[in-house]
Amino acid sequence: MAKKRKRSSDALAPAAVEKPDDSAPERPERTLFGFKDSSDEPASKDAGPFFRNKEKVLITCSRRIIYRYRHLMQNVVSLLPHAKKDSKVESKQSKGSALNELVELRSCSSCLFFECRKQKDLYLWMVKSPAGPSVKFLVNAVHTMEELKLTGNHLKGSRPLLTFSSNFDQQPHWKLLKEMITQIFATPKDHRKAKPFHDHVFVFSIVDDHIWFRNYQISVPHNEIDKVDKGGLDKMTLVEVGPRFCLNPIKIFGGSFGGPTLFENPFYVSPNQIRALEKRKKAGKYAKKVKAKVRRKM
Amino acid sequence: MVELEKEEDPLVHDEPMLDDDDTDEDYVESEDDDSEEELQAEPSKKAVYNKEGLLEKLEDIAWPENVDWMHKLTVDHDQGEKVDVNDDLTRELAFYTQALDGTRQAFEKLQSRKVRFLRPADYYAEMVKTDTHMHKIKGKLLFEKKKIEEAEERKKARESKKRSKEVQAEKLKERAKEKKESIESVKKWRKQRQQGGFSKGKEDGPNLNFEVEEGLKQHKKQRPGVSPGDRSGGLAKRGKQGKNHRSKDSKFGHGGRKGMKKQNTAETTNDFRGFNNQKGESGNKKRKMF
Repeated sequence: MAKKRKRSSDALAPAAVEKPDDSAPERPERTLFGFKDSSDEPASKDAGPFFRNKEKVLITCSRRIIYRYRHLMQNVVSLLPHAKKDSKVESKQSKGSALNELVELRSCSSCLFFECRKQKDLYLWMVKSPAGPSVKFLVNAVHTMEELKLTGNHLKGSRPLLTFSSNFDQQPHWKLLKEMITQIFATPKDHRKAKPFHDHVFVFSIVDDHIWFRNYQISVPHNEIDKVDKGGLDKMTLVEVGPRFCLNPIKIFGGSFGGPTLFENPFYVSPNQIRALEKRKKAGKYAKKVKAKVRRKM
Repeated sequence: MVELEKEEDPLVHDEPMLDDDDTDEDYVESEDDDSEEELQAEPSKKAVYNKEGLLEKLEDIAWPENVDWMHKLTVDHDQGEKVDVNDDLTRELAFYTQALDGTRQAFEKLQSRKVRFLRPADYYAEMVKTDTHMHKIKGKLLFEKKKIEEAEERKKARESKKRSKEVQAEKLKERAKEKKESIESVKKWRKQRQQGGFSKGKEDGPNLNFEVEEGLKQHKKQRPGVSPGDRSGGLAKRGKQGKNHRSKDSKFGHGGRKGMKKQNTAETTNDFRGFNNQKGESGNKKRKMF
């Protein structure tokens, strides 16, 4: 795929993907508004690193995905303008290597892979591409944007505000997840498809060791575009746009789509086990009844 | 012995999180757990938790420390008390307050940087939900509002019906009382005239105020706008089933789908109107005339 514009920072791109904190480039940054010197950086403390968020997310799903989860995937694609949607992947082969290659091929730096098993359970893989950690989640409580009770709407491609609950900073695995979520869900500032205003907010909060996601539209009474009216902040209301889902982390791996296990959730029970348990509960009913009858007769 | 991590906060279920045995060694594989125990919220005793590995990876991927906030746009919010997962209302309320608080902080920051962050009213661009979808939502909201209003009206009518019996009884009483009074006053006046002699001709009659109430009062049973012969009292829906028929009309045009009509009925059995014209001018050329 030919790149549209030649940028002076292209030579730094592969390095920038893995370690954005590289040595200062020789020429000043060339951005949409012309050359940017370090003196233009508004609030940089040091001679700030010329940081460019070149995050690109690849979003794919497995083959036998059902409509509800497919709609969820499409909703996520529409929420993230820096995402590329790809066609379905086969699930039987060693999906680790195939997906890694796919991500590299599309020159993406991270991946969201929706895997649906048994047409019932949805697993979400959040992966940082070349050598990054990867997380496998079980997704519950899915509500898509098409539901009529979610009445909000916002600009497509506007940069979201991300809010995290404070318990993300309490344990290392949550910290890692917070960093991954920030990098994947925050729209890069100077992205081509990003729109200027901020009119929606993502909520990631940890309740009962699950990560809950919500997306709200911000409506605040205002007359000017760069400042809120006097009492406006108090009159601000949020309307839910959707989608809604709940993530249950299963395992964190050191590599992408595999690798050494760094974290395993001790409270995680696979949905198969839950179903098997319930069936087993019902299994001995008749035998128990017969036994009880025999005992009574004796 | 299992060491408790003192720096970390206790878990929700107050079980110790096994950690320190792993830090110096290689990773421990987790066992296949007894699923019965798992469900009772016992953590698997050998779950992997490689704290150093996690922090190492975090350093690997993290953006540099002094990245401008404008790139990240993240806000942290203190959750306060533990939220009960199963109570939907409080949970959603907690999320809502988190979003609200976060947005307030973020807006203050944005305002201080003089960034244009509020969308002007005339900025038209592609939205994440289509206009037709928003139209459907609007329809649904209006429908629900109407339902609520109708339910309230019905409640009020029921209440007023209960009251109306009492009110009626009172009115009847009042009327009876007034009738009595007027009769009494006539009698009195007659007596007065008798006593005072019949000479006072100029005195007008007993003060009977007939004109006041009974004049323009509508007959109780009448209802405006409803014809007297209508037994349902204006409440019956005219025509076929209202909502279903309207939706079918919009789909198939007035008169309904061609296939849904009966063709072979008692009336059409002996109806030979379509077959009379043998000169080849019949409308339906596919029909075979034998």
